[in-house]
Amino acid sequence: MAKDANLSSESNPRWVLAVDLDRCTGCQACVVACHAENNVPVVGEVQAAYGRWMHWIIIQRYWEGEYPNVKARFMPVMCQQCTEAPCEPVCPVFATYHNGEGLNAQIYNRCIGTRFCGSACPYKVRTFNWYQPEFPEPLTEQLNPDVTVRTRGIMEKCTFCIQRIRRAEIDAQVGGREPVDGEIQPACVQTCPPDALIFGDLNDVDSRVSQLARSRRSFRLLPELGTAPGVIYLKGGETNV
Amino acid sequence: MPRNLNRREFLKLAAGASAAAGLAPAIHSVVIEPFVNPPEEELPGQATWYASTCRQCSAGCGIVVRTIDGRAKKIEGNPLHPINRGKVCARGQAGLQVLYNPDRLRNAVRQSGGRGSRRFEALYWPEALDLLSNKIATLSSAERLAFLGGMMPSHVYLLVTRLLEALGANPPIVYDLQSALEGRGAAAQLSQAIFGTPDLPVYDLSQSDVVFSFGANLLETWMSPVAQSVAYGTMRQGLMGNRGLFVQFEPRLSATAASADEWIPVRPGAEGFAALAIGRIIIEERLGHVGSYRSQAVLYEDVDVGAMAAASDVPVDILRRLARAFADADRAVAIPGGYLAGQRNGFASMLAVQSLNLVAAQVGREGGVFLSNPGPTAALRENPPVNTFDEVMELTRRMKAGEIDLLLIHGTNPLYELPAATGFAEAISRVPFVVSFSPFVDETAVWADLILPDHTYLESWGYQVPLPGADRPVVSSQQPVVRPLYDTLATTEVLLGLAARLGGKPAEALPWEDEASFVEEMVGELFGSSLAAYDARTPSGFWALWRQYGGWWSEKPIHREPDLTELVEKPLPVSEPQFEGDQDDYPFHLYPYSSIILSDGRGANVPWLQETPDPMTTVQWGMWVEINPRTASTLGVSDDDIVQVESPYGMLEVPAVIYPGIRPDVVAIPVGQGHQDYGRFTQAVKGSNPMELVAPITDRSTGALAWGATRVRVKPTGRKQILARLESLDGKGRESLE
Repeated sequence: MAKDANLSSESNPRWVLAVDLDRCTGCQACVVACHAENNVPVVGEVQAAYGRWMHWIIIQRYWEGEYPNVKARFMPVMCQQCTEAPCEPVCPVFATYHNGEGLNAQIYNRCIGTRFCGSACPYKVRTFNWYQPEFPEPLTEQLNPDVTVRTRGIMEKCTFCIQRIRRAEIDAQVGGREPVDGEIQPACVQTCPPDALIFGDLNDVDSRVSQLARSRRSFRLLPELGTAPGVIYLKGGETNV
Repeated sequence: MPRNLNRREFLKLAAGASAAAGLAPAIHSVVIEPFVNPPEEELPGQATWYASTCRQCSAGCGIVVRTIDGRAKKIEGNPLHPINRGKVCARGQAGLQVLYNPDRLRNAVRQSGGRGSRRFEALYWPEALDLLSNKIATLSSAERLAFLGGMMPSHVYLLVTRLLEALGANPPIVYDLQSALEGRGAAAQLSQAIFGTPDLPVYDLSQSDVVFSFGANLLETWMSPVAQSVAYGTMRQGLMGNRGLFVQFEPRLSATAASADEWIPVRPGAEGFAALAIGRIIIEERLGHVGSYRSQAVLYEDVDVGAMAAASDVPVDILRRLARAFADADRAVAIPGGYLAGQRNGFASMLAVQSLNLVAAQVGREGGVFLSNPGPTAALRENPPVNTFDEVMELTRRMKAGEIDLLLIHGTNPLYELPAATGFAEAISRVPFVVSFSPFVDETAVWADLILPDHTYLESWGYQVPLPGADRPVVSSQQPVVRPLYDTLATTEVLLGLAARLGGKPAEALPWEDEASFVEEMVGELFGSSLAAYDARTPSGFWALWRQYGGWWSEKPIHREPDLTELVEKPLPVSEPQFEGDQDDYPFHLYPYSSIILSDGRGANVPWLQETPDPMTTVQWGMWVEINPRTASTLGVSDDDIVQVESPYGMLEVPAVIYPGIRPDVVAIPVGQGHQDYGRFTQAVKGSNPMELVAPITDRSTGALAWGATRVRVKPTGRKQILARLESLDGKGRESLE
C-alpha cells in the first residue's frame, strides 16, 4: 500500500486490539477461527508436544491459589503488534517490517528462516514451520484464497487479519466512504461469543478501542520492555465505571 | 504465451484458468474449462455468503458461510440471528472440516466382508433404497423395526416420526451422549413439573445481577453455549456501572467456573442441598423483596440448614452470604445444570435449584427465567424429545431378545456413547439387519450392514426450532452452501424415497418430491405473520427471504411467562445421593465431563479441534484424568503418570493431570477421545472411552442416565505418557520436552 511511505502519518489508522479479560471465557473460538481464516496448519500430537504448534492466538491459563480457594484466569495472547517491535531490527532480510498502520508485517517470500525474530519476541507469539504443512485431500478446499499458504522454513504470526482489513477498506472505497468503527473485524473478533475482543483505530479518538484504551482497567503486556504494544488488555473482575 | 494467440482467445483462456484454479486450488493438473455459463450468484474470485444453521450441536445457531468458486471457505456467525448474534464457538468454526473431512464416506456402502469387517463395497443409491424398502416391506410386523436417533434437526425428526407412524412402528428412540451430559431430558421433565410444558426455559443471564449456576457448564457445551456466552459478556461489562455476580456450584472447577466470581466445590450429588439451604435461609430470614417469599415457605418445611450445609460440604456462613446476595439482588437467576441431572437424586436437586427462582420471584422476569414464546412457529416445533435411559435400555433388551429385525441409526453413535455395561455391542449383533446414516464410519456404523451416508449439514436443506429458544420466536433455516461433495444422500431424501417405494400409507404421509420442496412447504406456514423481522409479499418472496436471512424470527422480543403448576405448593423432597461402587473399594467419584472442544466425541475427527488446547489443562490431542494435588501426592502420582482408573464396570489407563481445581474425592475425565473407529484423526490419539467405566444406572424420578454416580479407584502404573500441552510444566517455555 502506498500509505507505507509516511510511517508516522497521523492520518493513517493505528490498528489496535482490545482484549477484555472480564468477558473472556477461554472458549477457544478465536483459536479455531484463526486457523480457518489464515490457513494455519495443524502439526499433530508429537510436534505439538515439542511446542511446535502453530496457533497465532493462544489462550494462556493461570492458576492462582490452592484448593479450595483456587482461581483460574484466561489471557488470550497473540502478536502484540508492538510500536517498538523487538522482532523487526533483528531480521537480516527485512522479512519482518513495520507498516504505516502500526502493524508488524511479515513478508513470507523474503523469510529465510533464521528465527531471530522468534527469539527476540518477548511474547513468544511467532511460530515457525518446522515441517511442510500437510492438508490431506480434500482439506485443501478449506484454504482461504486471500492468504498465502506458507511452506517449511517460514516464520509466521498474527497479522490482525490484514486481508480482512483490506477487504473492508476496499468495500468501503467502492461505496465511496471510509470504513466505520467496528466494520473491520479480524476473524477472532468476529467470532468471539462474549465480545471480549474489540478491534479498531486508536488514532480515532471516538472509536470503541480508543475509549477502552482510556479505561482505568487498561494495561499492556510487559510494559517495562518499552515495546508499546498495539494490544490493549482490560483487567477482569471490575466494573466498567 | 504463443505469439499467434489473439486477444480474444487470450481473455477466454485467462478467464477459464482463473475459474478452474479457484475450483481446485491445490490440484496441480487442471483442465482448463471456460466458465461460459457461470452458475447464478457465482463470479470467479468473488465471495458469496450463504446463511444457514450450524449443526455441530443442537443449539441451532445461525451461520453465514463464505463461499468462493463453489467452495466453502469460512463459517461465521449470522449477525442478525437472535440466538447467537453473529457469534460462533470453536466447534461451529470447525464445521468446514466436517465438510472437507478426508475420512467421509463418498457413497452408499454395504459391508462386503460381513459386519465389523470394515470392508466396504459401493452401492448404487436406487439399489440401496430398494434393498432397504424391501427389508421394511418384508418385516413380519412393524414392531420389529426400531429407529435410534440423536438430536436431529426438527425437519428430520418430523419425517422420521411420520414415516414410523405410517408404518405402524414404534416412535424413534432418541439418545445421544451430549444430551445425557447436559441433562436435556431431565430439564424437559423439570419444566413440565414446574411450568407445565416440556419447553426448555431461557435463563436470562444478560440482565442478571446475580447468577447461581449449579453444575451448568453454560459457557462450554450446556444447551446453547454461544447464546449464553453472548449473554455472559453483557452481564460482565455490557451494562454501564453494573457487573453481575456469578457463582458456580460444582465439584470440579470447569472453564465456566473459571469465569465465575466464586467457585463452590460442593460434594457430588449434594448441589441440591446447597440450593435447599439457600432457599430455607431466604425464607427464615425474610430476605429479599417484600412478600416474595411468603407463599413459598411451605417448600422448605423439611429443610434443616445445618444438616444441608454438612451434607453439601458448604459452610453455613457461606450459604448465608450467598442467600443474601441472591435474595437482595434486583434480578437474579439460579440454573439447574447437566451435572445435577447425571445423579441418582438429579430431579430432586434440579427442583431445589429451580425453586430458588420461585422464592426470589424471578420467574417470568427479565434477568430471571422465562419461556420462549413460540409465536407462529408452533407447527414447526416438533423437536426430538430425549428418551429416558430406561427406554434405551428397553430397546437394548428387545434387541438382545431378538425382537428387532431392522435397526436404523441416525445422528448418534451408541456403541461409543452408551456405557459399555449396557451391552449394546452384544445387542446390535443380535439384530439381523442394521442401517447407519452416518457420514463417517464410526463405531456403530462398523456394525451396520448398510451405511447410507447423510449429507453434512453444509450440503443439505432443513430447519430447526432452537430449544431453549431466545427472547422471541425463532426458526433457523438450513440450506446447502455448496453442492454435495460426494455421492451421498440427505437422510430426508432417503425417507421420502422409502415412502414412495413402499406406497400406501407411508407415501400418503410423506408426499413430498424432495427435501427442498418439503422444507419449503413446511416453513411456508410462517408466511404472512405480522411479527416477522422482514416483509414478504408472496410465498416465493418469503422463501427467498427465509434463506437470505437464515430463518424466521420476530422483530421484537416477546416473552412468555410460565404458569406455575400446583407442584410448587408442596414441600421439596430431600433426596440423598447414591453411588455405584463401595466407598472403601472405590474411594473417588468419577466425573466424566463434556469437552468444550470435542463435545461428546463427535468433534474428535476434526484436526482443528484436536489441535486446539483444552482451556483448563491446555492439552492438545490427548485424554487425561484430573486429580487434586493432595490426592495425587497421597497416591504418589505426578503429572503425565499413567494411572489405572477402575470402576465396578470397567478399567482404563490414562495419564494424570494434577488439577488444583477439583475436590480431593473426585477425579474427572473429559469425554470425546478413545474412538475405535471414526477416522484417522481419532486414531492419532492414545485414549480410552470413559463410558466404559460408567455404571448403567438412572435417576428413578426421570429415568435419565446417572452418569455422574459411579465410583472409581485410582492406581499408579509406574509408566509415563507425556501429554502435548500448550503450557510448560517446568517453566522453561516451549521446546523443553525431555
